[in-house]
Amino acid sequence: MTDVLHQAEAVAAPRVARTGRFTIAPWLYLAPALIILFVWIYLPLIQAGQLSFYQWNMLPTSTPRFVGLDNYRNLLTLPEMGIAVRNTVWYIVGLFPLSVIIPVAVAILTQELSGPLRNLYRSLIFVPMIVAPIVAAILWRWLLNEDYGLVNQVIAGLGFSKVGFLQDPKIALWTLVWMTGWKLIGFSTLLLSAANSTINPAYTEAARMDGASRWQIIRDIRLPLLAPTILLLSMMTILFGAQWSFVYINALTGGGPLQSTTNIFYLMWEYGFQTLSAGWSAAAGMLTFTAFGAIALVCLWLMKRLAVYDD
Amino acid sequence: MLRRTLLKSIVAGGALLSATSFASAQMVDEITEPVTVSFYSYNLASAGLKNETTQEMLNEFMRQNPMIKVEPIAAPSNEILSRVQADIVAGQQPDVAQLVFRDLIYAARDLGAEPLEDFAGDEYAAHTEGMVENGLDLGKVDGKTYGLAYTFSTPVMLYNADLFRKAGLDPDNPPKTWDEVKEAALAIKEKTGKHGFFPGAFGPIDGTFVYQAIVMSNGGKVREGNKLTFADAPAAEAVEMLRDLKDSGAYADIDVASHMDTFAAGDLGMFLFTSAIQDTMLKAADGKWELRVAAMPSFGDKPTAPTNSGSALFVLSKDPVKQRAAWELMKFLTSKYAYTQITSKIGYLPLRLDIVDDPEYLKDWVDAHPLIKPNLKQLENLTANVAFPGPNYRQVENMMKNAAAEAVLGDGDPVEALRAAQERAQPLMPGDS
Repeated sequence: MTDVLHQAEAVAAPRVARTGRFTIAPWLYLAPALIILFVWIYLPLIQAGQLSFYQWNMLPTSTPRFVGLDNYRNLLTLPEMGIAVRNTVWYIVGLFPLSVIIPVAVAILTQELSGPLRNLYRSLIFVPMIVAPIVAAILWRWLLNEDYGLVNQVIAGLGFSKVGFLQDPKIALWTLVWMTGWKLIGFSTLLLSAANSTINPAYTEAARMDGASRWQIIRDIRLPLLAPTILLLSMMTILFGAQWSFVYINALTGGGPLQSTTNIFYLMWEYGFQTLSAGWSAAAGMLTFTAFGAIALVCLWLMKRLAVYDD
Repeated sequence: MLRRTLLKSIVAGGALLSATSFASAQMVDEITEPVTVSFYSYNLASAGLKNETTQEMLNEFMRQNPMIKVEPIAAPSNEILSRVQADIVAGQQPDVAQLVFRDLIYAARDLGAEPLEDFAGDEYAAHTEGMVENGLDLGKVDGKTYGLAYTFSTPVMLYNADLFRKAGLDPDNPPKTWDEVKEAALAIKEKTGKHGFFPGAFGPIDGTFVYQAIVMSNGGKVREGNKLTFADAPAAEAVEMLRDLKDSGAYADIDVASHMDTFAAGDLGMFLFTSAIQDTMLKAADGKWELRVAAMPSFGDKPTAPTNSGSALFVLSKDPVKQRAAWELMKFLTSKYAYTQITSKIGYLPLRLDIVDDPEYLKDWVDAHPLIKPNLKQLENLTANVAFPGPNYRQVENMMKNAAAEAVLGDGDPVEALRAAQERAQPLMPGDS
């Protein structure tokens, strides 16, 4: 390995030495990507960082006023942010089974179904994915209504007392987790099924000839080879899961009842676009960026250590 | 014509020069060339009658004023301000805009709305004669009118007469005080198994005006100057009253985001909310249950303080010709004809009360639709919704709303919840200087 590297350097070095000047061509090729990255990602990030020290209502006619660390101080002392962070964690924890565990089980179990049955089953699972989120939100609201909702009528029909899915502060968050996850199951299942079907059948056949049971094949062959996809989905759930619930919070609860369903992303939007406090929103954004940045690094490190690649 | 205008502006200009460096030009007296004005309206963004009626009025206006073309621009009420703002930044100067009252100060100070007394002068005074004074006052900032009151509604008690009958209550004699509301709500809950009472005061559908109307009906105030007072005695007592309704079971335990659905489905006895939903509810109730409307309840014999939800029209154009066109449009939209349309087809209040008894305008309609009457009566003691000052004004409002919801719907001590929020929010208010 190191030999190859040395060779490559040996080949490359003289050429640079020979021309002896800066070559523009590679930079030109890179330019579109770099410019887009800078203009759309890093520039706004820097500006958001700046904005977090100002008080500004985003009106072109008003001048931002420098307030130092006031925005951060307000966020860290007022209870809203604490509640939002705690809820964000619950969203992620709640989404995990729906976006990772159930799809893994479904993908592996449906692998052995055959022909049209498998396709039917998989399309049924995928359908929620293509329902527009806002439509799904309204439909769920009707289904879950305490007075005339179908779900509650079934619950009452079975002799249980009705459940205030969206109005009970203890339950509302889990209702939104379910709606978000319900739409994710299909997506995750699709990814995992694709990964599952690329596993070389030679492995499973060889294992079967050696007398491995079904469970052993799943545990020792399928799961390790699915690991990169499972880890990717886990990482996506951790980093983006709470964001995906935004539509439902916005359409159904507005963060309520009693702030029980708000999360950090909804709070940022509320600060920025409902109460027009760009500085507060930017400060919350910077805090979130830092925290999730650190989490992302840990996730990437874990992925490198745990994933098994079938090269 | 041109010469006259020119002469006039020279004279006016001379007079102004000596007085101040007055920036905005006087509008022209007459339109001589075809001109297009833009009209930003949130009624245009809703489906059905609100949009159709507004469009109809604009067509009628263009028929009567062939020189003026109106370009309608629709945006929902919660986005209309940012739409106007974005277009100003983009260099497309809006001419007339329908904005809600919470944005009044911002429109006057930052968006550059024209004060009507300055640019329409005597014409403004002549036009607003006969309009409801309380309503006109709401468009004023520092003594000048920036917004001309346009569409208005107040919180009313909508109730389901069928549920009243089933509960053994008299639908012709709806509750007038909060004590009676509690009694009636409990009767409905016990005898029909449906929900008793719900105020649309909290939750994602903005109900601050309902909350403030209840607070002010008890003599409370959410702030005095820069000092927050929403946790002080009269305001807190009003909230404690709601909490008592909640604890007794009179206050419906329903999803705050779909209270309208619940009422429309006939599952709720009494619903305190804006009169603007009256038409929607009439349609929902048609043939299924009987909708009736009463004035909002009072605390004992204290007078009620219904606040307004609604909008005003603002002139934003800077061009003297467009200003004239904008003013003509504004006059038309607040004329007797327009209020007849607005009241009978959209369900807002007529701000010209003389048309109510005028057979040429609303009389027949009001006789056929008595539901409007409690709402009309409330115009007499219309009280302005209190907005918050300072750069963090919306944060403070949010904290107050959350605390009030916590106080009414939560488990803890209601006064304590309000007091804690008031303490946290006070530093965000501007200091007394």
